[in-house]
This record gives sequence, structure tokens and C-alpha cells, in this order.
Amino acid sequence: MNSAYRAYAAKRLFQAVVVILLAYVLTFVVVSILPGDPITNVLRNPQSGFSEEEIAEIIAAQGLDRPVLVQLWSSLSAFLTGDLGISMRSHRPVATLIGEVLPSTLILAASGLLVALVLAVVIAYGTRFLPKRYGQGLLRGFPSLFLSVPNFVIGLVLIHIFGFQLGIFRVIEPDSFWATFFAAIALGIPISAQIAEVLIANLDHEADQEYAAVARSRGLSKARLFARHLLKPSSLPVVTVIALTIGELLGGSLITETVFGRTGIGSLVQRSVSTQDLPVLQAVVSLAAVVFVVVNLIADLVYPLLDPRVKLLGTPQRRPVTADDNSSGIPTAVTS
Amino acid sequence: MIDRLFFSSLSRRRLLTATSALAFAALVTTMQPSPAFSADTPVEGGDITFLIDSLGDTWIPNNSAISSFQGHIWGHVTDKLLYVDADGKVSPWIAERWEQNDTATEFTLHLKSGVTFSDGTPVDASAVVANLDIWYAGRKKEGINPIGLFPKTYDHAEAVDATTVKVIFKKPTLGLIPTLGYHGSILISPKTLAQPATDQADLSKTSGSGPYVVESWKEGDFVKLVKRKDYNWGPAAVGQTGPAHLDSITYKLVSEPSLRVASVQSEQADVAYNASPQELVTLQDDGFTVATPRYLGFVNGLAINTKLAPYDDVKVRQALQSGINRQEIIDTVYTPDWKLATSFIQSNVPGATDHSDLLAYNPEKSEKLLDEDGWVKGADGIRTKDGKALTLTLHSNPYLATSKSVDELIAQQLGKIGWKVNIQAYDVVTFGEKVKYGGPAIPAYEVTRSFIDAGTVAGILTNANNGENWFALDERDAKLNELRDKIAGAASIDARAPLLDELQKYILEQGYFIPRTQIVQRIYVQSPKLKNVTYNGIGYASYYTAWKSE
Repeated sequence: MNSAYRAYAAKRLFQAVVVILLAYVLTFVVVSILPGDPITNVLRNPQSGFSEEEIAEIIAAQGLDRPVLVQLWSSLSAFLTGDLGISMRSHRPVATLIGEVLPSTLILAASGLLVALVLAVVIAYGTRFLPKRYGQGLLRGFPSLFLSVPNFVIGLVLIHIFGFQLGIFRVIEPDSFWATFFAAIALGIPISAQIAEVLIANLDHEADQEYAAVARSRGLSKARLFARHLLKPSSLPVVTVIALTIGELLGGSLITETVFGRTGIGSLVQRSVSTQDLPVLQAVVSLAAVVFVVVNLIADLVYPLLDPRVKLLGTPQRRPVTADDNSSGIPTAVTS
Repeated sequence: MIDRLFFSSLSRRRLLTATSALAFAALVTTMQPSPAFSADTPVEGGDITFLIDSLGDTWIPNNSAISSFQGHIWGHVTDKLLYVDADGKVSPWIAERWEQNDTATEFTLHLKSGVTFSDGTPVDASAVVANLDIWYAGRKKEGINPIGLFPKTYDHAEAVDATTVKVIFKKPTLGLIPTLGYHGSILISPKTLAQPATDQADLSKTSGSGPYVVESWKEGDFVKLVKRKDYNWGPAAVGQTGPAHLDSITYKLVSEPSLRVASVQSEQADVAYNASPQELVTLQDDGFTVATPRYLGFVNGLAINTKLAPYDDVKVRQALQSGINRQEIIDTVYTPDWKLATSFIQSNVPGATDHSDLLAYNPEKSEKLLDEDGWVKGADGIRTKDGKALTLTLHSNPYLATSKSVDELIAQQLGKIGWKVNIQAYDVVTFGEKVKYGGPAIPAYEVTRSFIDAGTVAGILTNANNGENWFALDERDAKLNELRDKIAGAASIDARAPLLDELQKYILEQGYFIPRTQIVQRIYVQSPKLKNVTYNGIGYASYYTAWKSE
């Protein structure tokens, strides 16, 4: 790794820290201006049998009646020392709560992404090389179709057919292999649409290039042409799309987890939003900011490796640019 | 030779007779109940899965014991001092007998010996004192709340000896005895209670003395309970004191209601909690067991704000009382499993009396009362008086899924009489902030509330002793206050009964409380294989006595 890479990484890391802190403070502000809090909401349930005076006493005992800025400072200073705090809802350490559910979400998100990639490549290949009589034109409509069907609908249909009708998986065991497989399909289908659209457009472009014509004239089979010559240059913008879909993967996993009954970050966020559990929300939003920033950083750093036409220039101020583009601009990797 | 003799002696008639006899014998044999498979014979072993729509918030015992969701788990992991059945009848459990003084300020509990928590600590007098103290006071700074409905008149408790506890109150507290069987009053090991709140919130670190122990759990996902083999102190009232029959119970969160029911239908699970009322008839027809136990408490109804015009007028309140067709609510929104209200408290509460006559649907009476009171029907069908329309705003209760549907039906019914009814639905948080008893823009507050003892009702309705002042009467109604004080001071159930009857009649006659229907807050759809499930006074299903048939 040369000095340009190190400087670039340091700059992006600094930006990441600022983004994370801003996300933390913004979450605090947004949740704080909403009426109620997890403790009052529970105490106000008529079944609890507490009078308003008793509720006020309990709120004061836990310091929730302190000025908002004092509460923010105390929360932020703990966060800066690595203490994510205690969940107001469950009274358990936030780090423990996240640690319990994170693996499930990572498995689902990774499987969903894998499904999306495989589907996108298959669709893109089909649109290019499938004979017209086998529905080549139909395949081009798939991305629009996938985008227009919400993943919870796909999830419910999959559960009904494969869970209840065919009995391939038990609905009440959502972490089993087959349940995870179908949850990944539900999550991956809408995301595959975006990747497929970009891939199809780039394949069309690359297939018209001279090098493709040369390869074809040498008698290369369609599959070899696709795998050896067209796929790699066409996938370059896909890296950016994948980085951008991380947000959708996280958002989609929330819905997919709820439909399939999986316990992950999505269900933790859902419970925390509905009960206004501020410490958990702040930690999860900060975590999401970290993931988002890191994934985009990785995407930028991977660019030069995938396309030799992209290179980083050697000073700390410089950014990844194409060989024929020396002007200053957006600090991301670009292609010619 | 032998063969020939055999066949030659077996004529067609004989063959027919023999075959018929054999068939008849087989039929008789199969018709007789086989001891091994009889529905009444418990089957040892087996595992069940209970699908639930939430696993609540925290697992701190004090904060979660009364949860509609976690209460199911606590009911199997912990015991109570006394048992309250579905009819509100109190019977011994961990306390095998009890006494009280003449003024109901001092109670003595005699505990069973040999009872232990799952961590090995004995359930003795000092453990019971530790529990009573934390139910009353909690540890507020740590976030451990008191039990809201535990008597506020508690003074202290002391261990007389290993199996005797004396509980002292500042004022007469007849409600203690039923309180000890209430879902909030779960016995937890003193070792657990001594832990900080963050440890109490970890279910695996909590020990009770119940028939099941927590084997594993994951927050917001599942709780798996396994049988405690040495359990031998169940409540005699359920007909069993030894270990449970089922090996394990898994409570699994499935938030989508249709998935819960479909999982039971496809035999992937055994119980679905909180199915939609509209599905119940079909499920029953398909052979599934549907249980809709009622809890002990107030019926679902409206507490009227008497400070707000026109509900400061008794005739308007009385017109409201007779203007609601309660049978139509049951026929339209619910199923025959729901019962008509007969008072403002559920009919299974000890002390509840039947005042159905005061709740009969009589729109003619309502119209007459409003006419007499000067409310004139306009061209649009809305009544007005002194230029003001007869309006009612209903705030649907977010804790009851069917609340808005009932409100819509009531709006139609009252609309025929001349009311203009507005319906406002809020989420739980906004409802808690904006909708309060006697609030400035809240003519009616929709009640869904259980309670332990009918004796506490009068205190809740008025503002005495930090009461909730449901009708915003403050001290204005001398008769209600007199009844409240007499009920609070009654030293025996017998002396209290006629006072409670008078209170119910008075509240309904005055139109302070407008009942809708008796409430069913817990709905269970169960596999037909699951037998002998019991329900306590709060409507929780107990699988301690249950088994799964072959």
C-alpha cells in the first residue's frame, strides 16, 4: 500500500468518524423530540396501575427528567469511551444485545447479496445470449418486475409455498438452512434488479466494443466470451451499486427478518423504534453508519484493482482518478 | 384329513356367523376406552411450541410480571403464595393457610416446607419477606419498578419463623389475599433479587420455584423451558401437585398473526396466541381448540368525564347507557365466546352482581331522555341544544385490537339517536400522552383493565388515596364517596358484598361508566392433541397440568 492509499484511507476514516458522530447526535435529537420514552410508555399502560405522581417519581429516580443537553453529553461522553450504554427497554447492555443479533443479520445480508449477484448475472447472461424463442425479451423485464414487488410479499409467498404447502422448512425455525435460503431469496430479489439493470446496460455496451467482435471472430463460445471478456469490465459499476445497496440490504433485512421471524438487527431496531429505546437506536444507527462508510471505502479501494485504467495519484490531496482525468472533483474512484 | 374335517365343518352360515361375531367383538373392543390413549389419562413427556406475538421488553421480574406476554413464562417458572382460579376463588399454594386480624391490617401466612427455588435456596419466610418488600417498593433508582397494583397501604413484613410470615398494613387491606395470587406477585429467589437490574434482566440468571426452569433464551426470539423433575408443590386447586407432564415448552416469537395460526394448522406448532376473533369460528369448525378465558377486572367500557358538557348532565349519560346495542357488538365484531356485560366489572369477579336490566338496549328510552332534556334533532339527524351539537369523541384504545371496530359500530348506533360521534385512533405513545381520565378534551376514556380485588374498585374510581378519579368527580358525589369509604373499611367479604352491589348499581344508573362487552384479552388457538390446559384468574394458559395425546 503506497502513501497515496494511506492518506486517502486516513481522510476517509476521519470522514467516517464525523459521519458516525453526527448520526449519533442526530438520532438523539430525533428520538428526544418525540413524545414519551420507553419507561413512561410502559408505566402508562393502564394495566400497570401507576398514578402520574408515581410515574414522575420513577422517571426522576432514573435521571430522565434532566435537561436534554445534559443527557446528550452524558450519553455522548460514554459513547466516546466505547460504552454503548444500557438499553432503556430491556435494561441489558446494548453491546450484548447487538452481539446477540448481529451474526443472524450478517448471515442473512451476505446470503441475500449472494442471491442477488447470482440472479443478476444469470439474468444479464440470459438477456445477452438466451435465444429469443426462450424468452430473452422477457428476461429484460425481470428487473422492473423484481423492483416493483415488495420483499415482504415475496417472503409471504415463499413461506406459504415452501414452508406450509411443501413443508421444506419449518416456519418456526427461521435460522435453519432452508429458512435462511428462502429469506435470502426474498431479500435478494429486489436487490438483484438494480444490479442486473446496471450489468445488462454495461454488457450491451461492452458487447459492441471491438475487442468483443475480435473475440467472437476467433470463434469463442458465448459462455466463454461472457465469462472471460465481458463480465469483468461490465462488473466495474456493479461494485458501486453493491456498495450503495448496503443500505437497502440493512433496510430489507428489517422487513425480511420480521416476515420470517428471524431475530436480527432489523427486529432489534423495530422493537427499539416502537419503544423509543434511545441507547439501542443510537448504537445501531452508528453501527449502520460505520458499515455504510466502510463498504463504500472498500468499493473505492477495490476499483483500481478491478480496472487498471483507474489509478490513485501519489499525493495526500489526491484521490482515485482515471489516468486521463487530473481535475479535482468528487472524492471517489471513477472510470474513464 | 384334519384340513378336510375343518373345512367341511365350516359351513357358509357358520362362517358368516363367526365373522360377524369377530367383527362385533372387534368393534366393541375398539369402542371401549383404552387406558393408554384415553383423553383423560395423562401422557408423560412431549414438547410443545407456543407462538406468541411479543416477548415483551425487560425480563426484570418486577417490571415484566404483569406483561400479557411474559406473564406466560413467569407463570411456569415461578409460583405464587396463593392460587386464584378463573372464578376468582382463592386457594392455598405456597402458603398453605393464612389468618387475618379483625381489622384486616395484619395477616399471617403459613408456608409449605421443603419448597426450593431452582438455585437451591429455600422458599422460606425470609425469601417471602424479600419478595413482599420489592413488590411494594421496587428499587426505582436502578430501574426496578414496584408492582403497581400491590397495596399502597403496606407497612412491612417480618419472618416469625422459617415458615411463618406476618404482613402488616397501615390501613385495612382486604385486597392482600387475592393480590398474592395475582400475576404480579411471583416468588423469585432472594439471590436473584439481590442482583443488579442488568443481571435481573438476564432471564438465564433468574430463579423461581415453578414447575419449569429456563433452559435457554434469546431476547425477542424464544424462551425454552424444561420440566423441573423435583417439583412437588403445585396448587391443589388444579388437581396436580407433582412434576409437570410435558418435558418442555418453547415460547417462540412470531409477530405475524396469520403465520402463528397457519403454523398450528400445519402442525408446526401447538399453540397460537392472540388470533383474530374473526378466524375463531372457522378454526373451531376445523377441530382446533379455541380458548377465550376472561380475566378478573373491569369490563371493556367507557369512563365518562362528568366535568365536560354535555356529560355533566345525568340524562345525557343515561341516554348513552341505553343507546348502545351490546348484543350487536358481540354479533358483529366478536363471536359467541364474548359475553354481554352485566355490570362494569366482569361477571366472574367475586362480588360482581347482575345489573343487566340497567344495560338493556332501549333506543326509545334514549330518545325520550334527550327530548326531555331539550336536545332537538336537526335535518341532518344530529341533535342540538342551545346551538351546540350532541357530540362524542371516542379515543380507540390501542391496547385492544378490536377497539376501533367497536367504536365504529357504536358510532352507527348512537348516530341513529342523534349523536355525532368522532373516532380518534392514536398509537400507544400518543394515546398515553394525550388521552387521560377526565382530560379537558376527553369525554370518555376506554377502559381495559384487570384488578385483583373488587374492594379496590371504589378507590380507583374516585380521587381518594391517589385514586384515579375516573369520572373527574373529585369530591362532588357524596354517595359515591360514602360507598368508597365503607368498602375500604369493610373488614370481611360478607360485610362488603352488599356495598359492592350498591356501588355497581349506582355507577351504572348514573351513567358514569358505559360498559361495552366483557373483555377477552387473551385468545388461544391450540392443537386438538393438547389436553387439560388450565386457565387462572388472569386468563393465562398453564401447561403445568397439560399433556399431548398420542
